[in-house]
Amino acid sequence: MDKKTVTTISYLSRLSIDNEKEEKIVQDLDNIIEFVDQLNDADTSDVEPLTNPLEKTAKTRSDKITAKNLKKELLEIAPSSNDDYFLVPRVVE
Amino acid sequence: MTIKYKTIKEIKKMISQKEISNKEVVEEVYKHIEENEHLNAFITLNKEPSIKKSKDLDNNPSDLPLAGIPIAQKDLFCTKGLKTTCGSKILNNFIPPYSATVIENLENAGCISIGKTNMDEFAMGSSNETSFFGNVENPWGKNLVPGGSSGGSAAAVSAGIVPAASATDTGGSIRQPASLCGITGLKPTYGRISRWGMIAFASSLDQAGPMARTAEDCALLLNQMCSHDEKDTTSLNDDIPNFEENLNQPLKDKKIGIVKDLDLSSLDNEVVKIYENSLKEFEALGATLIDISLPNLSLSVPTYYVVAPAECSSNLSRFDGVKFGRRSEDPKDLEELYIKSRSEGFGDEVKRRILIGSYVLSAGYYDAYYKKAQQVRRLIKNDFDKAFSNIDVIMTPTTRGPAFEMGSKGSDPIQMYLEDLFTISANLAGLPAISIPNGNIDNKPTGIQIIGNFLDESSILNFAHMFQTSTNWHMHTPEGVKE
Repeated sequence: MDKKTVTTISYLSRLSIDNEKEEKIVQDLDNIIEFVDQLNDADTSDVEPLTNPLEKTAKTRSDKITAKNLKKELLEIAPSSNDDYFLVPRVVE
Repeated sequence: MTIKYKTIKEIKKMISQKEISNKEVVEEVYKHIEENEHLNAFITLNKEPSIKKSKDLDNNPSDLPLAGIPIAQKDLFCTKGLKTTCGSKILNNFIPPYSATVIENLENAGCISIGKTNMDEFAMGSSNETSFFGNVENPWGKNLVPGGSSGGSAAAVSAGIVPAASATDTGGSIRQPASLCGITGLKPTYGRISRWGMIAFASSLDQAGPMARTAEDCALLLNQMCSHDEKDTTSLNDDIPNFEENLNQPLKDKKIGIVKDLDLSSLDNEVVKIYENSLKEFEALGATLIDISLPNLSLSVPTYYVVAPAECSSNLSRFDGVKFGRRSEDPKDLEELYIKSRSEGFGDEVKRRILIGSYVLSAGYYDAYYKKAQQVRRLIKNDFDKAFSNIDVIMTPTTRGPAFEMGSKGSDPIQMYLEDLFTISANLAGLPAISIPNGNIDNKPTGIQIIGNFLDESSILNFAHMFQTSTNWHMHTPEGVKE
């Protein structure tokens, strides 16, 4: 973990890091990664990853429309919107 | 007649015997909230609608199971028309257009949602020190943390403001604050309670649950909180038992697993003594202690700190300043809008976890960290499956020590992460677990954790209730022992 890696992952996360906090964050992340490196102590050859405790019981539902159209309510709580769309700074000139 | 420190059962009786009106109950709650303002347990109050609902109940008495019972709701659950912040600046103006299923279930059972409780930002923290809305104080002592992330819910119940609160638990966020505040807190089996309308932190670990003064009240609440919900694909469709039915079963011939490879040396000495005394109490109730082995338990915290940040970094990508929540002012383009809204809106701990998540999921590191952690997660689950073939429940202390001073864990995040040493494994394996008060160190409460097998909340509630019929630790309040 170094400054360059932190710059890359903060861009991937769409976060900017204040200059005065950068050193501390590099140090914290380095410590956390070192801490989780303990996982290498476990022998996991031939072990299937477990993504969710319910892997065998998760169910699908029938493809019926049940949701109400909340367009008006949802657009109302957006930081910026008109009658039909969320508004953001112009993307295409 | 006061409702302070009363249980749900006691308040129900007071209302039905007309010792107190529904409106008086609610008015007293708001009086207690005012008197306890220094605790900072609430972010938003729901006063007018609550008083109205209580008046309606006085005019039209109801026999719903939670009729008129004031409940504080963790500010992580969406509540229709009522501000929901998740403890974050990025949601400090968010008013959801719908309510979480679990909130609907509780309200349909008659409860009154008094207000929204303070919490660690996006439930990331073990001391309630990461909330944008400030620290919560533990009612047991000035400057003591209430634990986290459900610190506001725990403090509100512990201070006797409300008999119960909703909460959520991703790595211990119900059980650890319950332990530090001297109350009872239950994390059900993963999938028991719908996660629809719960603001997601780590979707494969998050589970809602009740906090209350007794296991009996937790059983009553759990009965109302559970439902099969088609809107949550991980919501279980299994039969939901009546969780109150088995509370009084004798513990004779029941088996308690004691983890023999648990390293108790890093614990407060007194915590270990209190824990061992509680085990003797369970033996006196007829249960047998059996040594079990969970060889991968020590890897649960590192496993969690890969899995949870990975899921958090992807869940929190939805906060982009476009569709809801706070947007930064005058961004020069769309990219800057995303970056500035997120950087201004999230606190340091949330940012740290998003960054770790992006790192362990990024190309080149995915197999070394994310896949590896999920493999170890299976080993941990396999350990539990094996152990439960021969026992009814597993017991551990809930935490390493009692409530600590605000700021005392310093600036090293790992010290705080180790707070959840005993609680995290139940989330990784999806198992139900409860924390109940079992002692007191220098007027600070401690808790014992009871972990159950998959879907077996009934057993842990049974053990917890029997303990509470033969001890009175759950009757201890910051103002002395309840009569």
